[in-house]
Amino acid sequence: MMPLLEVRDLEAGYGPIRALDGVSLDVAEGELVAIIGANGAGKTTLLMAISGVVPVRAGVIRFADRPLAGLAPHEIMRLGIGHAPEGRRIFPRLTVRENLELGGFTQTDRRRLEQDIAEACGLFPVLGDRLGQMGGTLSGGEQQMLAIGRALVGRPRLLLLDEPSLGLAPLIVAKVFEVIAALSARGIAVVLVEQNARAALKLAARGYVLETGRITLTGTGPELAADRRVRDAYLGEG
Amino acid sequence: MMGRNWQKTDATGAMPVRALVAAFLRERWDLVALVLLALAPLVIPALGGALGGQVTTLFIYCILALGLNVMVGYTGLVHLGIAAFFGIGAYLCAILTVPMYPFQMRFVTAALVSVLATAGVGLALGAPTLRLRGDYLAIVTLGFGEVVKVTLRNLEQITGGMKGLNPVPPPGAGLVVGGLDLGRAFAVDPRWFYYLTLLALAGVVVAMRRLENSRLGRAWVAVREDELAAAAMGISATRVKLSAFAMSSAVAALAGCLYAASLSTTADPNAYDFNRSIMVLCAVILGGLGSIPGTLLGVALLVGFDTVLAPWADSWIQQMEVNPSGSSLLSFSGWRLAIFGLALVLVMRYRPEGLIPSRRMAAELHKAHP
Repeated sequence: MMPLLEVRDLEAGYGPIRALDGVSLDVAEGELVAIIGANGAGKTTLLMAISGVVPVRAGVIRFADRPLAGLAPHEIMRLGIGHAPEGRRIFPRLTVRENLELGGFTQTDRRRLEQDIAEACGLFPVLGDRLGQMGGTLSGGEQQMLAIGRALVGRPRLLLLDEPSLGLAPLIVAKVFEVIAALSARGIAVVLVEQNARAALKLAARGYVLETGRITLTGTGPELAADRRVRDAYLGEG
Repeated sequence: MMGRNWQKTDATGAMPVRALVAAFLRERWDLVALVLLALAPLVIPALGGALGGQVTTLFIYCILALGLNVMVGYTGLVHLGIAAFFGIGAYLCAILTVPMYPFQMRFVTAALVSVLATAGVGLALGAPTLRLRGDYLAIVTLGFGEVVKVTLRNLEQITGGMKGLNPVPPPGAGLVVGGLDLGRAFAVDPRWFYYLTLLALAGVVVAMRRLENSRLGRAWVAVREDELAAAAMGISATRVKLSAFAMSSAVAALAGCLYAASLSTTADPNAYDFNRSIMVLCAVILGGLGSIPGTLLGVALLVGFDTVLAPWADSWIQQMEVNPSGSSLLSFSGWRLAIFGLALVLVMRYRPEGLIPSRRMAAELHKAHP
């Protein structure tokens, strides 16, 4: 079976800096794939390259059997890739409802849009309670839920999640990961970029370890979690 | 966007009348203002004279400022050359209507063509400058404004140079409706222009409201807030910014058409210089970026001060005969810019979000710690 997302020998960077140096990975339909790695390993760049924000220098990205080369971010998003970027990037001066509506910007059918918003609120009841509130007034955890909810309103087949646990209290992290598991169970493929390797690998079917722009290790979630090198470097059990 | 809170309190019946009136004014200020302005010429005879012309100019500037607000307020793109688009609209409308050119279109047709063409010019300026933001975009728009002004001055064969183009025939010239020669009516009684521009302004306000709540309006705001996040939502920043450029230019051109028609001349190119752009920008910032009522109030205060209050105060001082030597220190106009500047400084110090801020800007400038 063709993978939903296929990345081959991807190179990308900023100016003289080469952040990705020949990365290859696959994500199957409905699969949850974790990408772990230290700061500056290129995890965020990888997601940005997939969603078209950072230009690809070499290599191929194919989504649903279609090469993404040359497509603008909004065109890639329309193909069914949702991106909840690092730092959440919600619109702080727009209400929660407006944030969610923007997530469905490409959806012109008002009824379906309302349905999708209601669904996102079902997933994150706290959003439903705060529809009229400005995004910037939400707590960090709520903002993360809004960022994920907003990406979901676009009905993605593949969801890119960049550090969803960043800066959140452990209790909230558990809640966010619960929802991610639920999304995956619904058949949405997820690429989960995390520094919180333990939680990510527990959830993921497969994982990749990214080190200075290269994939150095790959395996199923439990395999990686049990791997000596991963334990030393990322699970703090050295 | 506006809640209709007063209806709810109305239903309880427990509110005192005065509070009810205040709530009504707050929610439906637009209707109240429209009715008052529509009735004013029937009550105030001075509006049939020079004052009518001045208020007409005020309405035109309101339209211009609402156009600028699309770029500066909603989309967050700094624009220091809106007067150039005002001028392009005025000159295009004049070229399409004055007797010296073969077109001699009706005003409405000419206005429509000018608005569309100026939107095209806006796109032409927007396309190469899309990647610029902040100061850089400000400089490009400023430069464009100067280029347009100088071009209008130097293209004498087409624009009449410093003389400008005239006479621009009034709307409805040559049209006789029910025994009334419309063109003559417009030329003789300033109240015709008063109503025409008021109608245009009301139309622009309604259009802006609808835009604010449309997909496009939300996309403008999203791009202003965070371009990357907007792109992740499937919004093309390129297209959204270009549409803001085009919309701003088109509305400015509409103001320009009305301006040329109401003066029956384009006036000389200096009428569309940098000062004009800054004045309108100040009005938008003073009133509140991205806020329709704020923009209108800003124009009423700044431009009203300049075109209505200052001449009136001057003539009053002259009548008092306190200034026989004609010293500029004793004329109101001599102090005009100083007062203007002081007022701006005070407002920016004490109310940086503007007099009637949009909900979003108020949140930005007075937010508690995150």
